[in-house]
Amino acid sequence: MKKVYICSDNITGIFSAIYDAWKEGREEDNAGISLRDNLEQELFCEYVESEESEKKAAAVVQMIKNNMGAAVYMDIYQAVLAHDKDKGNAILRTLLAARKLPDSTKIMNHLSHSGVEKVFELSRRVGGEAHQFKGFLRFKELENGILFAEIEPKSQVLSCIAGHFSDRLPLENFMIYDRTHKMFVVHEAGHQWVLVLDDVTDTAKLNRVSEAQREYERLWKGFCKSISIKERENLILQRQNLPLRYRQDVVEFQQ
Amino acid sequence: MIITETMTVRDKLNILSDAAKYDVACTSSGTARSGDGTGMGNCELSGICHSFSADGRCISLLKILFTNECVFDCKYCINRASNDVPRAAFTPDEVCTLVMEFYRRNYIEGLFLSSGVMKSPAYTMELIYATLHKLRKECNFQGYIHVKAIPGAAQDLIAKVGFLADRMSVNLELPTAEGLKLLAPHKTRKSILTPMRLVQNKALENKQEIMLYRNAPRFVPAGQSTQMIIGATPESDFQIINVAESLYKKFDLKRVFYSAFIHVNEDKNLPAVREEGPPLLREHRLYQADWLLRYYEFEAGELLSEEYPNFNVLLDPKCNWALKHLEYFPVEVNRADYHTLLRVPGIGYKSAGRIVKARRLGTLAFADLKKMGVVLKRALYFLTCSGKMMYPTRIEEDYITKNLLSVKERLPDGISGMSYKQLSLFDDVNFRKEQFIVHEGVKRAPIERMLG
Repeated sequence: MKKVYICSDNITGIFSAIYDAWKEGREEDNAGISLRDNLEQELFCEYVESEESEKKAAAVVQMIKNNMGAAVYMDIYQAVLAHDKDKGNAILRTLLAARKLPDSTKIMNHLSHSGVEKVFELSRRVGGEAHQFKGFLRFKELENGILFAEIEPKSQVLSCIAGHFSDRLPLENFMIYDRTHKMFVVHEAGHQWVLVLDDVTDTAKLNRVSEAQREYERLWKGFCKSISIKERENLILQRQNLPLRYRQDVVEFQQ
Repeated sequence: MIITETMTVRDKLNILSDAAKYDVACTSSGTARSGDGTGMGNCELSGICHSFSADGRCISLLKILFTNECVFDCKYCINRASNDVPRAAFTPDEVCTLVMEFYRRNYIEGLFLSSGVMKSPAYTMELIYATLHKLRKECNFQGYIHVKAIPGAAQDLIAKVGFLADRMSVNLELPTAEGLKLLAPHKTRKSILTPMRLVQNKALENKQEIMLYRNAPRFVPAGQSTQMIIGATPESDFQIINVAESLYKKFDLKRVFYSAFIHVNEDKNLPAVREEGPPLLREHRLYQADWLLRYYEFEAGELLSEEYPNFNVLLDPKCNWALKHLEYFPVEVNRADYHTLLRVPGIGYKSAGRIVKARRLGTLAFADLKKMGVVLKRALYFLTCSGKMMYPTRIEEDYITKNLLSVKERLPDGISGMSYKQLSLFDDVNFRKEQFIVHEGVKRAPIERMLG
């Protein structure tokens, strides 16, 4: 009988479920993964709660990296972060399909397999969203000199962009807050970044920006206005390139 | 003329970004560089767009002129010497502060520094060098810098600037030397191509140095680009893409940018003001053709010819080519080589790559192609999967043309206004008659001679 492993929507959860299915030697047609908050029960299925642990997840990560290579791991990692309720299944089916290939590192080329195709698409979507936020994220300087940014992404992109900003601003103290998933990236000057699962507690502090910040915001808004060519004005194209959902925290679009 | 002494940085930024907006390139791609942990900044290979202005163009770099004072008098340029516009100039310090503060807040990916010619080309280039030097060495800025080489500046100065910048560009301004003589009296083809050649040679030299010494300083790692104004002079599309092709082949340029001519000055040598605004569709077609040259292994001579010197307004250049060469089609997806797949309308270079990899692991059907990003509504007339076409279609020019036109190409919004305009035999180029006559002799040969 088909067995569906229930897990929570994060790296540890999904990889633990994969670990369980793998361990029991399940195949594509008799195993599934469902997210706890998005459970849609099927008939003739056995449902089990997967016991989540860092250790299981680490074993799966190691297995993927060893057998399929870092590039495939990157795709699977990004797919795990996606906002999609069926991602667990797609990833499991991809891994099981890879086992049948003579060269498992080539699995992401196997686009006629529906699981692989789904992982490919999810990975691209998450990668794309992360890339957008690398551009559209805006820091503001608080009174104490800390840089603070807020975003509202669909996928859990924080861990995809944290490295980029730490490399770019190694000597700055900065924080990025993900409103959708209630997570922070915190980077202290000269240290590694860390991911903190927590809600904002002190909003007042985060709204007190420095004097210089106001001036640079004005300068930047002025720049964005004067750089546009009137004869070519095209607001539809602008919206196509920078959709409204990204604009809520972008300073030049705030009144 | 406004006296510049009392200007605030905000006034200057207003004037000097407004004056820089006609430069097309705002790309930050082509260099991958991690920060070294001691300063600020890095570079992503793909480049990053940070915002989009109201005209839909990307804002990636802080695009400014160092100064809009200019001793040159180019007819098409808002900053020409004979125009009465407010003039301003930054100091190197002001530019550095703006870049660092904007960059830190993630507003920009780097700096695009161009300039009018203040006093002399050499003097201006010296100021640009001072600015970049300060930014790189004192502020320890490791982000992207795109800088203009001023035609006429000393060679060693241009070379020195190249080691501080990621990309350098010299504007070709106009596609032919005749056009340049007419509209930019202070510039010659030679004064533009000399620095371009210099940058090319230096970059080549630098490549060998890097092979020997891994840590040798890099000379314009993101290559050089240029831009031409489209529609200010009566060149045909055929001439323009020939120039672009020669630039790619002979000068190793990374990009050629096309900018639809915008009326900012009144001058007897410029085309009359046109009601429909800048020739955006023509610019779009040129970019499409440019992509075909760079990524799709096409040659200029295949896309256009002396007899058909301008692009079809209704069909993109690739469809147009395919319809004229139906003898190559249909192509079998599961066997055709990569180069053949590239020529199929609806298949991009990425999906062609995916097809080649995916078919090693199984036979592909039309449904699979769709998932790989192939645009089937265009490709279906030119493809077979396992020997079968998607629908029973005919390989006939008229039949396919009719069908392709009915699915409507997705043009970037705003330039699709073509459907309301009366079609003219002469495509999108409507110059005054006398200009056609003056330049009738301009054919391919002089372009090649110039660039040779």
